[in-house]
Amino acid sequence: MRAAAGGEASESKRSPRAERGKRGVLRVQGPIAYAVLLALGLIVLFPFYWMTVTSFKGEDQMRSLTSMFWPRPFMAENYQHLVSKTEFVSWYTNSVIVSVLSTILATAVGTVGAYALARLKFLGRGFMASATLITYLVPPSILFIPLYAQIKTLGLANSLFGLVLSYPSFTVPFVTWLLMGYFESIPEELEEAAMIDGATRFGAFRRVILPLAAPGVLAASLYAFTQAWNEFLYSLVFITDARLRTLPVGLASFITGDVYGWGYLMSGAVLTTLPVIAAYIYLQKYMVEGLTAGSVKG
Amino acid sequence: MAVPAARLEPALGLRKSGGGLARVFGPDYRLGYLFVTPIALAVLALVAYPFCYAVYLSMTHKLVGLPPVFVGLENYIRLYEDGFFRRAVYNSFLFTFGSVGFKLVLGMVMALVLMSNIRWRSLWTGVLLIPWVAPTVVSALNFLWIFDGSLGVLNYLLVKVFRILPQGVGWLSEPGTAMASVIAVNVWRGFPFFGISFLAGMKAIPAELYEAAAVDGASALQRFLYVTLPGIKNITIIVVLLSTIWTFNDFGIVYILTKGGPGGSTMVMPVLTYETAFGAQRLGEAIAVALYLLPALGLTIVVLARYMRKGRKR
Repeated sequence: MRAAAGGEASESKRSPRAERGKRGVLRVQGPIAYAVLLALGLIVLFPFYWMTVTSFKGEDQMRSLTSMFWPRPFMAENYQHLVSKTEFVSWYTNSVIVSVLSTILATAVGTVGAYALARLKFLGRGFMASATLITYLVPPSILFIPLYAQIKTLGLANSLFGLVLSYPSFTVPFVTWLLMGYFESIPEELEEAAMIDGATRFGAFRRVILPLAAPGVLAASLYAFTQAWNEFLYSLVFITDARLRTLPVGLASFITGDVYGWGYLMSGAVLTTLPVIAAYIYLQKYMVEGLTAGSVKG
Repeated sequence: MAVPAARLEPALGLRKSGGGLARVFGPDYRLGYLFVTPIALAVLALVAYPFCYAVYLSMTHKLVGLPPVFVGLENYIRLYEDGFFRRAVYNSFLFTFGSVGFKLVLGMVMALVLMSNIRWRSLWTGVLLIPWVAPTVVSALNFLWIFDGSLGVLNYLLVKVFRILPQGVGWLSEPGTAMASVIAVNVWRGFPFFGISFLAGMKAIPAELYEAAAVDGASALQRFLYVTLPGIKNITIIVVLLSTIWTFNDFGIVYILTKGGPGGSTMVMPVLTYETAFGAQRLGEAIAVALYLLPALGLTIVVLARYMRKGRKR
């Protein structure tokens, strides 16, 4: 980097726009960039477009392959069928109950834990931080059978409470790992100032750090919520009663090979996706800033 | 830190309470242990204990509803000799490395176009991230419908609209295309995570490095090779290892699309684990399937955890 110093001096006078252009790594030219974006965008959005279109189609139209890309006639029958003739409403309620409760649990445990691991000085802190991270990386496909055995011994098999208790196996380490990074980014001086003013360590955490970390805590809890909402394997294994299914398992149980099934299956898919998209609209800026699961700098 | 901690502590008057214990356990040990206990309990009850129990069960004959009978490594040895299991191992590697390879390339393309001069950058980023947040089961069901042999839209597009194929293909029901199809769905779902991570890594590279390289006469390609790629090396290692673990253990996509079929051509280890446990009801053998590659998984996790912690500390 022998030219670094000189380069910096001359470049710093440039306008921010020019700087941005420079940073365009291997700068992809405008038209090519837009063409690639358009292609990727189409590939990404098409399944969702197709799901929505299908959900408003009738059985005759699907069977006859007419007007493929728009429902004609446009009908809400699939949604009516879904609500009145299937267990969909129960599943929705189950999913809300399980996701909300397990998210509250994971957020509470993860927030205080992350604060301790990021800030407090005590013996075993480094070990616990590593243990939490490693836990986050252990895949559910290894754990689901022994967890099922455990849940069964506790008499919680085939109950929503069993799911609420087992989802923290992936949400707690995740929330903790995310928030550790967030707490580390808050200047330590703020707590020290509060403690000089007479606050206890806990008081400083509650009155100073927690309000500052609130956006991060909300983002982490929304992440945890979507993970719980999307969870499939534990729910598939632990729940045997059809009424107690969560949405992903319930939707998957609609696969029958019947043509008409696709109509209400897709309307259920639309309704299952909506809450996640709502959470995502809030989360997007955090994801773009790199507060993702692999969250790392450099 | 503005004030040296040593001078600050007496003023705060809160490290006094610990006395001798504080010297052993650290100045914040009370609040620290209080706050960490719930996580420790969660980790012990939901991961550590089940994991140890899994290792034990994998060395037993365990039928659902009956007590386990210890048999040592018999399950593992039997699996080693089982052709169907070997095929599942091969399929798992094919599925994982095929998927991760494509995700790596597509993610790099996504990050590069998002770094170039485009309008509505955040809107584009937002759209491209959608597969990553949407429920996996919903996406898998969408593709099950898209891939449908007789009424699916993919065949409609290829046969009737673009006229590329003379007749429809049973994407998921023919051994030749089933694996490629499940890989495609996994790539579709996972590439945005690569893209957004690379994007974050590229944004963190100081502009001065590019300018210095440009002053030294480096071409765009050279800047990419010698500035961008080294700059995102760590993030690439992390993302690839993370995705390898996730993909290897992906259950939902394959289970919903093919259940391992046709004829075992997409049978991967997590699906085989599930089928052995809840189809054949042989729990011990099922867990042996899940744990078979544990040394490799453990090594990956340890290396990955090290990189992830290193990335944080900087």
